[in-house]
Amino acid sequence: MRYVRRLMIAGLVVAVMFAIGCSADEPTPVPPTATSVPEPTATQVPTMAPEVQRTSSGVAPTATAIAAATSTAVAEATATAVAEATASAGQQATVVAEETATAASQAAEDVDDREFDARRGGVFRLLGSDPVTFDPALTTDSTSYDITLQLFSGLTRLTDDPNNPIVTDLAESFTVSADGTVYRFVLREGLVFSDGSPLTAFDFKWSWERAALPETGSPIVKEFLGDIVGINDIVDGNATSAEGITVIDDLTLEVEIDSPKPYFIAKLTYPVTFVVNRDNVESGGETWTDAPIGSGPFVLKSYEIGVSMILARNDKYWDTPAFLDEVHFILAGGSAMAMYENDEIHVTGIPAASYERVTDPNEEISQEVVDVPAEFVTYYIGFNVEQAPFDDVHFRRALNYAVDKELIAEAVLNNRAKPAYGPIPPGFVGFNPDLEGLRFDADKAQEELAMSKYADPESLPRIVFTTPGTGGSPPTYLLAVADMWARTLGVEVEFQEVEWATFLQEIDNYRLQVFSLAWSPDYPDPHTFVDVLFRSDSSINQTQYSNAEVDALLDEATTEPDPARRVQLYQQAEQIIVNDAVWVPMWWGTEGKILVNRRVNGFRISPLGSYYLKDVWIEKEIDF
Amino acid sequence: MNQTGTTASAHPEPSQLLEVDASDSFVRHAWTELRKRKLALIAVCVLLFLYTIGIFAPVVATHDYSETNLAKTQAGPDAENWLGTDRLGRDIFTRVVWGIQTTIILTVITILTASVFLGLALGMAAGYLRGIADIITMRTGEVVAVVPDFLLVLIIAATVRPRIKEFGYWVEDNTFISGVNSSGAVDYIVLGLAFLPLSWFGAMRLIRGQTLAIRDAPYVDAARSMGVGTPTILLRHILPNVITPLIVSVSFGMGAVALGEVVASFFGIGVQPPRPSLGVMIGDVTARTGSAAVETLRSHPEQLLSPIVVVWLMIFCWNILGDALNDILNPRAR
Amino acid sequence: MLIYISRRLLWTPVLLFVAGLFIFSLGSVAPGDPAELMAGQRADPEAIARIRDRLGLDDPFLVQYTRYAANALKGDFGESYRYRGRDVIELLGPKLLVSLELNIVSYVVTLLIGLPLGFWAAMRQGTWKDPAMTTFMLLVYALPVFFTAPFLILVFALWLDWIPVSGWSGMFSTHAILPAFTIGVPGAFVFMRYMRASTLDVLGQEYVRTAHGKGMGHMTVNRRHIARNALLPIVTILGFSLAGLFGGSLIVELIYGIPGVSRLALEAVFQRDYPVLTTLTLLGATMLAIANLVADIMYSLIDPRIRLRA
Repeated sequence: MRYVRRLMIAGLVVAVMFAIGCSADEPTPVPPTATSVPEPTATQVPTMAPEVQRTSSGVAPTATAIAAATSTAVAEATATAVAEATASAGQQATVVAEETATAASQAAEDVDDREFDARRGGVFRLLGSDPVTFDPALTTDSTSYDITLQLFSGLTRLTDDPNNPIVTDLAESFTVSADGTVYRFVLREGLVFSDGSPLTAFDFKWSWERAALPETGSPIVKEFLGDIVGINDIVDGNATSAEGITVIDDLTLEVEIDSPKPYFIAKLTYPVTFVVNRDNVESGGETWTDAPIGSGPFVLKSYEIGVSMILARNDKYWDTPAFLDEVHFILAGGSAMAMYENDEIHVTGIPAASYERVTDPNEEISQEVVDVPAEFVTYYIGFNVEQAPFDDVHFRRALNYAVDKELIAEAVLNNRAKPAYGPIPPGFVGFNPDLEGLRFDADKAQEELAMSKYADPESLPRIVFTTPGTGGSPPTYLLAVADMWARTLGVEVEFQEVEWATFLQEIDNYRLQVFSLAWSPDYPDPHTFVDVLFRSDSSINQTQYSNAEVDALLDEATTEPDPARRVQLYQQAEQIIVNDAVWVPMWWGTEGKILVNRRVNGFRISPLGSYYLKDVWIEKEIDF
Repeated sequence: MNQTGTTASAHPEPSQLLEVDASDSFVRHAWTELRKRKLALIAVCVLLFLYTIGIFAPVVATHDYSETNLAKTQAGPDAENWLGTDRLGRDIFTRVVWGIQTTIILTVITILTASVFLGLALGMAAGYLRGIADIITMRTGEVVAVVPDFLLVLIIAATVRPRIKEFGYWVEDNTFISGVNSSGAVDYIVLGLAFLPLSWFGAMRLIRGQTLAIRDAPYVDAARSMGVGTPTILLRHILPNVITPLIVSVSFGMGAVALGEVVASFFGIGVQPPRPSLGVMIGDVTARTGSAAVETLRSHPEQLLSPIVVVWLMIFCWNILGDALNDILNPRAR
Repeated sequence: MLIYISRRLLWTPVLLFVAGLFIFSLGSVAPGDPAELMAGQRADPEAIARIRDRLGLDDPFLVQYTRYAANALKGDFGESYRYRGRDVIELLGPKLLVSLELNIVSYVVTLLIGLPLGFWAAMRQGTWKDPAMTTFMLLVYALPVFFTAPFLILVFALWLDWIPVSGWSGMFSTHAILPAFTIGVPGAFVFMRYMRASTLDVLGQEYVRTAHGKGMGHMTVNRRHIARNALLPIVTILGFSLAGLFGGSLIVELIYGIPGVSRLALEAVFQRDYPVLTTLTLLGATMLAIANLVADIMYSLIDPRIRLRA
């Protein structure tokens, strides 16, 4: 399950987006501070080359530059990944991880020492917000995720290379038993924590068992480590040690999982599986993360809540150390654009007010505009089909036909959002280019309204539209939607804002009439969109939609062995869902534009919205 | 909210007060005096102008305040949109005009209930009756006065809204009244409640002081000894004498409440859309945390300045008027 | 006199206790369960129950508050709901310091501009300069900070590039200049009026005329007598108005990215971090109460004609 409440400039620190997001121009409202954002689960195969592309570049491309992937490339990549996954599951293949160097280390090898020294050094500054936690076991929100990724590491990690999305990190290699349930990891030699103490297989066993302990209170450990035999017993308080994790020797770790799951290895890229230092955790008490000892490319140098967070290079990192001396997160907020233009920060999102100026090619600053690729995500307005007036399909269709998404995308969102007509986004497995969406048509909208039992405005009950957030006003684009409903149909809605955690509780209890939300896939399969959200007995069927025909199609698809046929079944179901107007699909992914200082190289935002600080380097100002 | 410094200086010492004749000659006197002060006269004209267009917003406005025009967003001023359009192509002039109305409703509600009604009633009661009534009101007031203003407004506005809203729905569902929530009535109640603790105590203390000074005056004594009842004494003899300082205090309070609305709405806990307010307009273009304020001022100054100029004029004019009234009505106080 | 002061001293803690109770009780009016918010979105009921238990959220309201107040007396203001494992005071301390610094600098600006201007205006009473200056300062005073803060950033940080846009590195750094002027200059109006009135008072006093009679030069009269005597009554309001500044920097801190209390306070309001809110309120109230007390006492010392209500 993955609700999304990050947005187009995803990735860029939440504070930046707070700043911009709350101006209400973004598809999802961004809460001031993340209480708990479900992170991209590791099962999602990264499918895009996230190298940031300069729109008009006066800057030399970095050595790591990878051509930005087009959406077709993405589609192919995804399709391959799925095909392979399906195939390997059946074949009980033995996978030996290739020991390919990661994109990052390649970059380091490509440059000789002299050049490396030239890149080394500097302080990278950005506006951030306080992470909810530094503890990898507790990390569920994007702000914390971005930080734990810099401070800690695990057996494998995600890359931004679509052909090689997952590489080994602290593990040098691994093998899988013939039945696909026993993984044997061999760690790299000479691994140490940032304090210099040795890092062995014992540390992994301890870290995973610790993550599972009820006292640790990790909300997501079952999801990521629960496949390992014995972990769930620890979570339930019935054990303190997992028999599925065996330490063979300092360098060898054997893990037994409950059934063959080819995606298990991908889960190990998620922070909850990262290794922590036992002494550090046990001696530090509840606030051990004030001085965390990890194995990531950076160490936490200082942290003052609401003031600043300073990361320093971890020289004991197993791979080539980061270029940057330090990364400064400014946590006190401020006028982001002004700070950027005054060289106080190196990256920023672009506030709506300055979008025109910043993207104007005549302005010098436009050279620093950088595109952020869209994520797989669908923004939508959901109707609770059990509640009046959304219990009438004609009424729902009328609302669909009345919204001119193209116009909103252009006029309000500066074309950064792609109008959506169904749940499955383009480029994703099962996307149907021939899907017949309910496109804007004012006449049809009025016809449908006339056919509905709410044709008489007097009979229309009060409609309360709920959005998550605390900013005060709903996102601007929703105001535009509401105005279109009012103007075309005479349907007035009232907005209410509910703080995120409460919002999710309300949705789960079907207490909301109509709401705005975004959904992002957990795994590359249409199941994650169509089945999970619309099957009548799904636990997260937020709309209470129930259609026997759809259920039958979904049942068939679940057991259908032929991938092509499965996709077809999902597409049929999707078409019915669209016709039943359970949602107003709003946007398929949103592209971001951010500003990156011209002296900064290698700042990339992944399709999961996080950034890689290790490869960032800053050109020195030339002194004569 | 914090710009209330002048109020303190304007409160006259009770002993300095003239006994004012209860007839309307004092209104005439005030007007004659006011006409001598050019600046105050200008302020009155500006306020009259603002309040007129606010009250007659439906007539004055050139558009519908929530009508979007996506073909013309963020446009500068022109013949059709006198102050340009905002991110959704809504007419800024229209929204300012309706925003003024919001401010008027809010200030009138707050000042009426807090200063005039509560302040007068409690102040006179405490000052005239003394004893337990005095102690209770004064002590309660001290408690509220000691809480930092901005925290109080933020906390109250953020916490009571859901309850008030539920009540609004209840009213809509159970009575013939409709549109309680969409008309902004909930916002007025919420903000009124939030400002209440701030505004009633000042007025109440003022009235109490006046009452204390007069209650033992010879003519009040005389009335008492003639067997005139307490209500009559309060109405006939006390009220006319305490009303003048109240007018001055109200005049200063108007600007302060207008600013309070702006601050609360700026943070998103004041007036809610679709109802426009000056604070909402400022908050919308400054990204709520003020982080986009510089950008808006730079790229689309009319979006930020239109509501700000109105707020500015209101605060300025009410202060000028308050000063003048203070001079006129309390000639011994400077 | 002593009786009055001791009475006030005894009353102040009661005042604070009730003020805290008031804020604390508002928390129970609001919807939402702090434990659920703390536990995060995917927490199971058991985890929530554990948190409720640890925080004592199931106890009757008054018990909760009494416990809080008792701990607060010992300097323990509880643990933030938002930042787990952190004492509120540890969280607030550095931020309060920054806000305090900011307010002190602003206050200095206010006084440095307001007092001389008031004196200047009073000495020119009867000319056009006096009302013109007063009106001008009132115009500045009435300017909303939503305009002044971004405007100053635009001019001095972006166009002229003299001063940093944001941040804070102590009250004696360049960072302090813009915010101090943003807060301080409008506030100067209030002190200008005080000073003007006070100076006029002094001007009307007999001994000034006497000083003239003795043959001292006009300028000497200005400096020696009038200014000093005019400042005397103003001293009494200094303490009080300093405490009043506490909330004045709210928006300024946000726009200038100053790590003061305002961001934390706002966050606490939205996240229902009641320990933080209650503590902030109590600290603010304590400052105000003490300032009031001091102002009262000083007032009675300086001007014995004012009889205390003892």
